[in-house]
Amino acid sequence: MFANARQSIADWIFRARTPESPPVTLVQRRIFILPTKQGYLFGLVLLVLLLASINYALSLGFVLTFLLAAMGAVAMLHTWRNLAHLRLRPGRCDPVFAGDTAQFRVVLESPSRERYAVAIRRREGEPAFVDVRATEHAVATLPVPAPRRGRLRCGRLEIFTRYPVGLFHAWSYFDFGLAAIVYPRPSPEAGLPPQQTLAGNDEGIPVPGDEDFAFLRPYHAGDSPRLIAWKALARGDDLLTKEFQATASAELWLDWIDARAPDPEARLSVLAHWVMETERLGQSYGLRLPGVSIPPGRGETHRARCLEALALHGEVPET
Amino acid sequence: MSGAIPNAALDVRNVMWLLAAMAFVVAPHAFRLPEWVGAFFALVVGWRAWIAWRAARNPPRWLVLALTVGAVAATFFAWGRIMGRDAGTTLLVLMAAMKLLEMKTSREVVLAIHLGFVLVMTNFLFSQSIPLGIYMLACVWLFVATLVGYHRGVGRTPTVRERLVPAGMLLAQAVPLMLVFFILFPRVQGPLWALPQDARAGISGLSDTMTPGNISKLIQSEATAFRVQFEGDIPPYHTLYWRGPVLWAFDGRTWKVPDYNISGSLAYTRSERPVRYVVTVEPHGMHWLFSLDVPGTVPAFAGLRHDLQIRSVRPVDVRVRYEMTSWLDYRYGENLPAMFRKLALSFDERRNPRTVALGRQWAAESATPTEVLARALRLFNSQFTYTLEPPLLTSDDPYDEFLFEAKRGFCEHYAGSFALLMRAAGIPSRVVTGYQGGEVNPLSRELLVRQADAHAWVEVWLEGRGWVRIDPTSAVSPDRIDSGINAALGPIGVFPSLIAADRLGVLANMRFVWDALNSQWNQWVLGYNVDRQRQFLASLGLEIADWTKLALWLTGATLAVGGLVGLGLVLRDLPVRRDPAVVAWERFCAKLARTGLVRAPHEGPVDFLARIEAARPAVAAEARAIVERYVEARYGPGITRPESRDLLARVRRFRPA
Repeated sequence: MFANARQSIADWIFRARTPESPPVTLVQRRIFILPTKQGYLFGLVLLVLLLASINYALSLGFVLTFLLAAMGAVAMLHTWRNLAHLRLRPGRCDPVFAGDTAQFRVVLESPSRERYAVAIRRREGEPAFVDVRATEHAVATLPVPAPRRGRLRCGRLEIFTRYPVGLFHAWSYFDFGLAAIVYPRPSPEAGLPPQQTLAGNDEGIPVPGDEDFAFLRPYHAGDSPRLIAWKALARGDDLLTKEFQATASAELWLDWIDARAPDPEARLSVLAHWVMETERLGQSYGLRLPGVSIPPGRGETHRARCLEALALHGEVPET
Repeated sequence: MSGAIPNAALDVRNVMWLLAAMAFVVAPHAFRLPEWVGAFFALVVGWRAWIAWRAARNPPRWLVLALTVGAVAATFFAWGRIMGRDAGTTLLVLMAAMKLLEMKTSREVVLAIHLGFVLVMTNFLFSQSIPLGIYMLACVWLFVATLVGYHRGVGRTPTVRERLVPAGMLLAQAVPLMLVFFILFPRVQGPLWALPQDARAGISGLSDTMTPGNISKLIQSEATAFRVQFEGDIPPYHTLYWRGPVLWAFDGRTWKVPDYNISGSLAYTRSERPVRYVVTVEPHGMHWLFSLDVPGTVPAFAGLRHDLQIRSVRPVDVRVRYEMTSWLDYRYGENLPAMFRKLALSFDERRNPRTVALGRQWAAESATPTEVLARALRLFNSQFTYTLEPPLLTSDDPYDEFLFEAKRGFCEHYAGSFALLMRAAGIPSRVVTGYQGGEVNPLSRELLVRQADAHAWVEVWLEGRGWVRIDPTSAVSPDRIDSGINAALGPIGVFPSLIAADRLGVLANMRFVWDALNSQWNQWVLGYNVDRQRQFLASLGLEIADWTKLALWLTGATLAVGGLVGLGLVLRDLPVRRDPAVVAWERFCAKLARTGLVRAPHEGPVDFLARIEAARPAVAAEARAIVERYVEARYGPGITRPESRDLLARVRRFRPA
């Protein structure tokens, strides 16, 4: 019930907030504080203790009651202080494949003293607790399942604490507009990209010389006749195709058209698999999607660029 | 929504802390409640510790339920009810044990801790002494530390230090507010609802009857009956007769306070100056208050009866403090109304025939009542022995048995038989019970009267003289009256108290310090009631007319003190003091800016200096000194504190215009 109340307060206060630019400092007016259920129960216990003290004229009962009540009041201050002036920055957020779990990170910094058991959570998520040492930073990691490819938005986060005694819940909200790129899940059953894309390309004869020759592989239908290892055939071997190490100029285009699949999402999965595979084979590749064309290349950055293009295919670009 | 960090609820060490705190708070009860309660609680704590240690399963629900029903039933069989102080506490202890046994979630853990706070309170129903208070404070600390343990520590169990230090800080910071509330929270007179009958159980004191044997039981008690602070010198020891209940009615064995109120005119003449003193009487559950001889004033909450007994309107259920004046030298009751005379002479003819016969014989043989008195005292003086362990008087004629056979007895034997002898001899008499003497604390100059000082004496009515106090015990054992009970009983083991054997030693001194401390504790902490509060606040210059004004003061003081505590906490959070060199530099730039020379945001101090030198050659030298010092402070090795002060001073003197 209190959680709901808090949520509505938050929704009202943060009606149309755009993401904030980091770092966010939790200044005092950003921090809310209310008793927890345990806090209300504690209040009830105090009332019982007070009535007993009055009725039995127990001076030490009064001492106990007032000491506990004052302790509660001081605890409220401590809870609030545990959040106040905390500085927050967005942390690293690596892309993941659909079906995996994205890890959103928030970096917390305390300019003055230590903070204990500070938690960060999404709307209905499990909280991640961290201690923040004075003048050091701590990282809270929020695991969020990423079921679909695209941009997974973290949304508004709640930072809260109940330290030291759990009688009060102090909290604040912040939104860095954190988002994780979710790549389409590669579909391994798609096999290798069709090689005719390579052959069908007239411009680039990929072989600058024999020194780039790498290995022989079985012939696939559609392999260029120029790449067939005729000498090996003459020796009586099977039909083999020469594979070259430096295929930079041999432009393998991974094309939307070639990825035969029942629906666009499946196509993207096929393309993602091709990207992973060609990268693994060390081949240079380009990517062609409706409206997007990434020139051939190789390496981690290139692969990430291609996968990101696949992930964000059809989405409105980020402004 | 769980309040604690996940998995903190059933962490072994967290559970152990809670169990330890619970065991500590229940321990004092083990000596007050039936043995099985303590034993059961210890068993459950052990069981729960084992469950936590071995990560075993909690007992099944039906077992906990069965035990709960059993606990209620056992409580009822032990006390005959489930409410009231003893039964209620028993029930609470048993319920706490059940809670420990079944708790699984952090919510239940916190519930158990709250129950722990209530258990602290139940201890105060039994005792509010200084040691118990300190002990209970330690228990509260343990409970708060346990609570902290559930909300601290990420991914690991907090250490002992990490629990105790924050908990101690919380409690220490709570003390100022607690004091404000303790002093200013409006106190009310009397209970809000009727106290259970056993709320004051175990309080010893005089009763409204006297049977041979019941005061000697009281004599064994070292408990404090009341304390007296005299204004001026303490009157001689042998005059300190603290009057309590006055017993007129007699049935052959027992002397009683008459059922009906004795009222009448209080004609008495006094001489000399009265004695002024303040009595702080411990709760005894009865109506009477104690005073010396003839009271001059009576406390507002009490009335004075014709037989000089002061009765409080309410039973003395709480410690009461009152001011008294008394005349030790007086004449009173010279006219004895016929009704009183009849009452003071009545006795059952069929009981104690030999005593009655002796009294009548003395009356026949004596010319005056005084002669009868003298014969009686002579008899006691010559043949009787004073002892705390008199033989049991079992017959229907106990005073015959005492006077003619046992001849060994205690004050109530002497007072009872003496009064009966007088009545038989036709001299109106009554028994007065109360206390005699007391112990003076040399440190606080306070007289401490213990239950051990309980005494009974006789008052006889003599024509032309009124009521006169006769203490037959003094005829048997004059020491009892002159120097107190311990002297009367001698150094040998009748009263085997260490303190008694060591009246003047180190132990006695420590005891006096302790007594003085206790007295202050009683007056200022335990006895802080409506009157004391008003008095204390008046001494601070606050005239509190009614509780609304008190509430106003309470609110104000709470805000003030709470604000101070809060400010103390918040101020520590402010960013560290700024570098004085930066402060000086900003002021320097601001001064130049006012003259039109504004430093560009990207402009470094040296470049800015070049511009100053070009634009304001008059102050160039001084500006260079300031800039060089600033550059040294910020970009170089740094400057010392006096140097930074000098920099500030230079900037202050700097006049760019």
